[in-house]
Amino acid sequence: MNAIAERYADAGVGSIFLYTNEAHPGEIYPHLTSMEQKLRHATALRDVLGVSRRILVDSLDGACHRAYGSMPNMTWIFNQAGTPIYKSDWSDSHSVENAVQYFLQVLDRRRNRERMAPFRVERLDYRIQDQAQFYTGLERNGPKAVTEFRDAFG
Amino acid sequence: MTDDLLTRYNYDEFVPAKFEPWMRFDQSPPLGSKGPDFPLWTLDGTETSLSAIWSANSYTVVEFGSFT
Repeated sequence: MNAIAERYADAGVGSIFLYTNEAHPGEIYPHLTSMEQKLRHATALRDVLGVSRRILVDSLDGACHRAYGSMPNMTWIFNQAGTPIYKSDWSDSHSVENAVQYFLQVLDRRRNRERMAPFRVERLDYRIQDQAQFYTGLERNGPKAVTEFRDAFG
Repeated sequence: MTDDLLTRYNYDEFVPAKFEPWMRFDQSPPLGSKGPDFPLWTLDGTETSLSAIWSANSYTVVEFGSFT
């Protein structure tokens, strides 16, 4: 997702990471109880996990996150008027890049004076499931996060 | 903002009773209509807004998530 942000920045595509609640709280990164802690965790996202996109933080009660469906790692794409034109209940770089390329083509076609009308489409996209990498991430949060995930999903 | 909401949203353990109520993608705003705007904060605590972000570019990709 960082690479996509860099690849399309000059084409007029902005990218942010919006910090929410902790999906898998552990001993090292526990659940959030203050805005100061939320800002610290968000900073770790940049400094430890290397998120190079601009990071913005939601309110402690997750007002924005909750309004958009409160999934743990979803992606939305907005146009400049604030209209959501893509939403996915999970973040996948291939899916996002596919959408970005399509929407950039729409801009080009409009510049070429093609008359177009929007329509809705549903599509099931596919992502790679990397269990080893996922568990490495859980371990970073603390052993509690690993145990709870195993208990929930086996 | 109530303490109850803060506690439920910022759940302290990943157990279905605590995380499943927040999986509400089916209730999220529809595509094609202007999305709701909210205040957001930069890492240094400066307030901005989602609308300030989306209005800055032709398109804006917003990934939601956390460290964990």
